[in-house]
Amino acid sequence: MGNFFSRYFKGDRVIWLIVVLLSLFSLLAVYSSTGSLAYRFQGGNTAYYFIRQLSFLIAGLAIVFLTHLVHYRVYSPLSPIFLYFAIPLLIVTLFFGTSINQAARWLELPGLGVTIQTSDFAKLALIIYVARVLSLRQNDMNDFKKTFLPLVIPIVVVCVLILPANFSTAFMLAIICWIMLFIGRTSMKQLFGFSFIAIVIVGIFVFIALNTNTLNRVQTWKNRIENFAKSEGGENYQSQQSKIAIATGGLIGKGPGNSTQRNFLPHPYSDFIYAIIVEEYGIIGGFVVLFLYLILLYRAGLIVKKAKRTFPAFLAVGLTLSIVMQAMVNMAVAVNLIPVTGQTLPLVSMGGTSLLFSGVSFGILLSISRSQNKEELFDGEEEPKGDN
Amino acid sequence: MSVKREILFRFGLVYVLFILLGLAILGKILHIQLVEGNRLRSLAKTITYKDITIEPNRGDICAIDGRLLATSVPYFEIRMDLRAAGLTDELFNANIDSLAISLSDFFGDKSRYTYKSQLTNARKFEKNNRYYMVAPRQVNYLELKEISKFPIFRLSANSGGFIPVQVNRRIKPHASLASRTIGMVNEDGAAVGVEGAYDHVLRGKAGLSLRQRTSGNAWVEVSSSMQVEPEDGMDVITTLDITLQDVAEKALRKQLAKHDAEHGSVVLMEVKTGEVKAIANLRRNSDGTFTEAFNYAIGEGAEPGSTFKLALLIALLEDGYVSITDTIDTRKGQMQYFDKLITDSKEGGYGKISVKEAFEYSSNVAMTEMVTKYYKDKEKHYIDRLYSMNLNQPLNISIKGEAAPYIKYPGDKLWSGISLQMMSIGYEVKLTPLQILTFYNAIANNGKMVKPRFVHSIRRHGQTEQTFRTEVINPSICSKRTLRDVREVLEGVVENGTAKNLRNSNYKIAGKTGTAQIARGVSGYRGDSGVSHQASFVGYFPAEDPKFSCIVVVNSPSRNVYYGNVVAGPIFKEIADKVYSTSPQWFPEVSRSPQLAELPESKNGFKPELLTVFKSLKIPSDDMATDVEWVSTRRGEGVIDIVEKEVIDNLTPDVVGMCLKDAIFLLENVGLKVVVNGRGTVRRQSIQPGTRVRRGENVVLEMSMG
Repeated sequence: MGNFFSRYFKGDRVIWLIVVLLSLFSLLAVYSSTGSLAYRFQGGNTAYYFIRQLSFLIAGLAIVFLTHLVHYRVYSPLSPIFLYFAIPLLIVTLFFGTSINQAARWLELPGLGVTIQTSDFAKLALIIYVARVLSLRQNDMNDFKKTFLPLVIPIVVVCVLILPANFSTAFMLAIICWIMLFIGRTSMKQLFGFSFIAIVIVGIFVFIALNTNTLNRVQTWKNRIENFAKSEGGENYQSQQSKIAIATGGLIGKGPGNSTQRNFLPHPYSDFIYAIIVEEYGIIGGFVVLFLYLILLYRAGLIVKKAKRTFPAFLAVGLTLSIVMQAMVNMAVAVNLIPVTGQTLPLVSMGGTSLLFSGVSFGILLSISRSQNKEELFDGEEEPKGDN
Repeated sequence: MSVKREILFRFGLVYVLFILLGLAILGKILHIQLVEGNRLRSLAKTITYKDITIEPNRGDICAIDGRLLATSVPYFEIRMDLRAAGLTDELFNANIDSLAISLSDFFGDKSRYTYKSQLTNARKFEKNNRYYMVAPRQVNYLELKEISKFPIFRLSANSGGFIPVQVNRRIKPHASLASRTIGMVNEDGAAVGVEGAYDHVLRGKAGLSLRQRTSGNAWVEVSSSMQVEPEDGMDVITTLDITLQDVAEKALRKQLAKHDAEHGSVVLMEVKTGEVKAIANLRRNSDGTFTEAFNYAIGEGAEPGSTFKLALLIALLEDGYVSITDTIDTRKGQMQYFDKLITDSKEGGYGKISVKEAFEYSSNVAMTEMVTKYYKDKEKHYIDRLYSMNLNQPLNISIKGEAAPYIKYPGDKLWSGISLQMMSIGYEVKLTPLQILTFYNAIANNGKMVKPRFVHSIRRHGQTEQTFRTEVINPSICSKRTLRDVREVLEGVVENGTAKNLRNSNYKIAGKTGTAQIARGVSGYRGDSGVSHQASFVGYFPAEDPKFSCIVVVNSPSRNVYYGNVVAGPIFKEIADKVYSTSPQWFPEVSRSPQLAELPESKNGFKPELLTVFKSLKIPSDDMATDVEWVSTRRGEGVIDIVEKEVIDNLTPDVVGMCLKDAIFLLENVGLKVVVNGRGTVRRQSIQPGTRVRRGENVVLEMSMG
């Protein structure tokens, strides 16, 4: 068995374990929390969402497996091409995408009947691209024209295109890029410059939105933030129900499938799945999930430590950050630490194609650690080159 | 190595940040559980939720032209919370008199004093005084609007306590028309007619809404994301034609009354498609009036009598035993088979006649003679013939309650020595009027037997979702030769035979009369009150190129007149005449080039539609308004002049002389609200043409016919 595993499943076993454990949590929590959804929309067929989630998880795992077999090196030269695809796709989505809650985030793939959130793809493309440029320019990080602009322009373009429909994703992506730049040894001066640009853009955007009244989303943001600000942390319906879920969970929780708040919480299977996990599995369950994401980030640190080149190190950091950051935001929303944003818990929340993109991220991560293992085994096969 | 150390150091910083974030999340969980826990847990217990079902709107049932046959209309119960929080004694006492006066004036059923004392007492003593039924009956929406302006009621719900409760009522705008076929469903599970058969389509899907109880016993919706919108039912478009239905029902009613009959039914069907255009069933009540109480046409299987002789004729012709010109001896109009004496209606018999004449005169003796001669000892062959024409199979129509046909087989327990003879003249078999009609319709439809249907299509919000096709039961029930002979004979029935009274010079009817004695259980055909009869006529028209088939069955007409041609025939004729007179395509053309003596007056309006009218009526017109849509017309020299009508944004258009459809379109398009008096053509408009439009203003249209 161990033999079989090590023959086919290469790379960091701990990361594999995290993927599997999160998937198991996902199945349990999604099955439990979709009861009301199934009752409402599928005529009481509770297996419907379970089977759907199981299928997507299996597909996601398959993608992890396939992606981790591909050497991460291929992504570096491809990343500019990905970006050239992603930007027009974002524009198309912005103007012709399918709206859910007045936010045009989805694009239907013609002929397939599948909708993808184009920002998922753009996020991935941008992270790989930033990792590439950072690793290529390590020797002259202070060059404004050759380093700063090629980094900042794509980041700004992608984030600005995501911004109108999905403020929180754009904001998170900007922070992830900022951290990547920071870890990639960008000078403080440039980081301040980047921050300044970001603040100006958000300022302009909010100004335009408030004055033209063209974006209904603005109203949603305003409500969410006002709700949160009011009565210290917002006792609005969602957060109150979420807090009740957490309060009634106790130390060990009510047990799998025993949530009552799932009937009252909007989107218990996505935005508020962490509250359901705490309700059913208690503080312990909540801690385990949180801990899994932190371990994941720690494993990314180990990859950085082992790395003999900078590209895999930056790529691992960027991909892991995007997963962990989103997870932290989701959990922070569920415990009412920050206003409602609509970020899902990666790999755990019920989801369709976004699960598959998470799979790609994990796959690339494992591909990096796989090649590092190989380098250990066949030391000297690939001589460290002069870029670090 | 310093590069790598720097990278690792920076990563370490970020990692510490994330650990802090994680600790914050854990800390917040602990805070919620330990500090806010008690409050939240007790909150969880006190807040009550429930799912409220939101009923969908039931779909309509419409006639083929879209006119409503059954629709749901909201009515309201007028209830009152006599103990509403804001309804203080002072408020109540100060206004109860005027409320009592309003209620008494409005409903007129009780005096103002009775209303007052009842409300006052109910407020004090009644158990259900928080949901007290005020009005003696349910009211409609317009009445509700008026009632909600009554004293006390006009206050807010919290202080006035006014509770209108919506109750959807199913109404049939055309009252009794085809009411049994339209049918009904109720909570006890009764499902009749189209309502019952298409309940799954009409019903729609209920919605759900999660509500939270708030102070004041009100349930409010908690979050729109927890709401499932109800899905309205779809509309069922039946094949029924209201005009023909009306004619059929009136004719049936008149004839039933005239002959003092017990009940009767009429079905009119389109030959090619099997679409039922009219179906009427009437039964006499004890007070002599007639109502639709049972779908006899579908649910009553009875011995059809002479109309069933057609089956024997087809069998004989198909087997080649006889041709319609063969001669047959009807003896003296009497034949004895075992204990049964078969007689003809003509005293002394018809003597030697042709097979065709035997059928035309409906000679019982001839039929029994022939069946005995050719099918004795070959009974099975004869019955197989009947079966091969699908006469023994139920039609399986969508509407429930069809009585299955009964045609026994040799060897069955009830098969006797005279079964063959009795069956040949339509006894010892049971068929419903609709089954007989389907058989005759197959003859009219060149041998192709189609399934009768009542539903044309299903629509959702005016968009057709599904259209039903004609189902073929049997592509050919007999050979073309037999068919030709049979149709000749059926025509002969009206031209020379028992149904001569239906003959007319305009168009030809083909068909068969039937006069059957009705078996009354154990007492046989002779009941306490003597013999009762079932008179029927079934046929199709125009005989040369059949378009419609029709059956009329009248049960237990008065004893002195019971013959099918006299009792059922006139109903058939009346319906056929109506169909004929409303089908201009059947008329021979009077003149090749229609010349109008005078040009007609024409409306103003939308040019493309006006041009269509002129073209189809062959009215010469002179289009002087090119490239515009809105025109006015006037009579010119032998030609209708079409001139442009100016329609300018923000100016009130001139709609005088237009039909209402165009007028509303133009006026509401510029933002006015149209109020209409009367019907016909617009005569006057309250806002002068060319006036600048003030959006939302009412414009009153006086129409040509008040």
